[in-house]
Amino acid sequence: MSKIIGAVEIGTSKAKALVGEVTAEGGLSIVGMASRPNEGVRKGEIVDYRKAATAVHAALEEAEKMSGTTVDSVYLAQTGAHLRGQMLRGSASVSSSDNRVSVSDLERASKEAKRRQPETGRSYVHHIRTPIILDEKVVEDPVGMLGDKIDLGYWSIDGDDQAIRLALHVISNYSLEVADLILSSIASSTMMAGPDLRRAGTLVIDMGAGVTDLALYRQGYVAFTGVVPVGGDHVTGDLSMGLRILEPYAEKLKIEHGTASSRSSDDKEEVWIIGNKTIGDRSVPRKAISDVIHVRVVELFEIISKELGGLLDPDELKGGVLLTGGGSLLPGIEEIAGKVLGLPVRRASFPPGIAPELAQPENATVLGLLHYGLQDHGLPGRKAGESQTIMSKIAGLVGIGMN
Amino acid sequence: MKKKAKNKSSASAGWKKLAPKSSRRPVTSAALRKRLSSSGKFFLLIIALGALGYGGWWLEKSTRSGSGTLDLTGPGVPISEVSFQTDGVLSEKWFHNWFGPLRGRSLMDLDIARLHRELLKEDQVASATISREFPETLSIEIRERQPILVLHLISDNEGMRKWLVSSDGTLYLGTGYPAKTVSLLPWLDVDRTLIKGREDGSGFERLEGVSSVAPLLDLVRREYPGIYRDWKVVSYERPDEDDPGAHVRVRSGKVRNLRFSPGNYAAQLKRLNYLLLEPDIRRRPSIHSIDLSHGRSVFAKL
Repeated sequence: MSKIIGAVEIGTSKAKALVGEVTAEGGLSIVGMASRPNEGVRKGEIVDYRKAATAVHAALEEAEKMSGTTVDSVYLAQTGAHLRGQMLRGSASVSSSDNRVSVSDLERASKEAKRRQPETGRSYVHHIRTPIILDEKVVEDPVGMLGDKIDLGYWSIDGDDQAIRLALHVISNYSLEVADLILSSIASSTMMAGPDLRRAGTLVIDMGAGVTDLALYRQGYVAFTGVVPVGGDHVTGDLSMGLRILEPYAEKLKIEHGTASSRSSDDKEEVWIIGNKTIGDRSVPRKAISDVIHVRVVELFEIISKELGGLLDPDELKGGVLLTGGGSLLPGIEEIAGKVLGLPVRRASFPPGIAPELAQPENATVLGLLHYGLQDHGLPGRKAGESQTIMSKIAGLVGIGMN
Repeated sequence: MKKKAKNKSSASAGWKKLAPKSSRRPVTSAALRKRLSSSGKFFLLIIALGALGYGGWWLEKSTRSGSGTLDLTGPGVPISEVSFQTDGVLSEKWFHNWFGPLRGRSLMDLDIARLHRELLKEDQVASATISREFPETLSIEIRERQPILVLHLISDNEGMRKWLVSSDGTLYLGTGYPAKTVSLLPWLDVDRTLIKGREDGSGFERLEGVSSVAPLLDLVRREYPGIYRDWKVVSYERPDEDDPGAHVRVRSGKVRNLRFSPGNYAAQLKRLNYLLLEPDIRRRPSIHSIDLSHGRSVFAKL
């Protein structure tokens, strides 16, 4: 028996909804998808509840209509500058007399790690488990192994209650439950960086309209996530101000003629702003467009570089840097990123099996929501059905793991 | 300085506590359509379930028609309680002795109409109401005849037996009465020919004349208990009110022979009481006779 599950991304420029059908064997097929322009969000956070709800509800309705079914619960992406990550660590002594590690030892260490509370007015959005260490050795599944001490950690992201509550209200107002909140950067990086890349060490940069999400993997586990409140809209804003044109024209110029760095041929080339050469239309040098974009893009990667600091170690990031999101479509952006970050950079590509019309960089997050939600993120040795909530139990029936 | 919450559980720090408990009014037309659709589906489900239930009931009803007595208790629900109520002296124990063991019978095993008929055959029982209180209680409510006289009858087989006489003339042996109650009742003395046995040998036919005497006994017991206690034997002859020769005779301790005419007993008793209070009569230990059956004229023989 199959189960219908949805995914929603309340993005700065667009609200996206996806409807997936999970088969009893755990297979997923996308049966509905829709997006709507969203004017209720700035820099990843809802600033106009009604406008955001209108966009999200319209996208959900169309996705449901396309799928010919209805959704009861959704995975919801979370992003925004209000999110903060921190590493929480916990440890536990192996309790059995024969020093064999049991699930309860892991659970005690997990509980110890999650004991630290966020500040007042903030709540945890996501706990992402880091490697389990048994007597200073990294192990995948220590249950049944011999040892004295278990250490494990969580990269835990907490967010502002008000921002989270607004997003939850948008969904509940459409009579849906939120099955889980998933960090946007985790969703998109899970989709675009396969297990091999994550093991090799990879930085995934999801360049959205309002914010840029970062997820850095080391040895297969998340070592850092972050949100830089700079995105494609800032580039558009810069063009609008720099060239003294309206934002819609600036957006058009960015998409049709924008590059991250100017070329020598750009010096003489003129680009018409409206494009129809009618009264009011005028031309601007192509180099001017590239220069404005270049400054902002360099600044963005410098911020990222500063944010990551010592984590940008080429020895630890053998998988390099993957760019995704709508902003990654900007020509020449890989070179700029490579120069600033000092790492090999390339555009991420979707794994095989995804329909070409869906496999667009701007869909990385919403597709990744389902991809991540369907995986088991519980502690080793614990069955998916042992989770606490009804949603988790239902999810367990179809192989969806939650933590 | 930002405060840190220290004592909250790990679960309480998660985003799930922020999830709205109840969804607010839909803010968009899409949300409204979704909610209406969900509500519509819910109501359709309720209607479908209702229709299914009604269909099942209708089918069961239509296939059951003419199949006999409706057994609402279902099979094998034995009677566990008998609710017995009476205005007289009979008890639940009497009922159980009379009815015999229930032997695990269910309410629907019992033939209520037959049980009612059998109960009314008991002369002490004036009327009875029997009902089933599902799932397992049999309810019996009876009204008993009240004895006003005692009739001593001697038969060849059973010797002398005391029969109680109720106000409607029914003769019955009486069960459960305290001996003192019976001993205080006046005896009835009637011509033996008036007492006719039933054809089935289960007792005697009703004594018709008693109904004419009953108002006298009822009145004297209620209004003049001192006089009543002294009455020993009551007898009557042709106690028809229209019969000029009809009369009721009472033998008492003080007045050995009292004679009443049937009808207007209140006036006659009033005169009797007046007489008995006369100093001349009070002083005498016994009076031979007082005849009150001649209207306002009272004849006393000292």
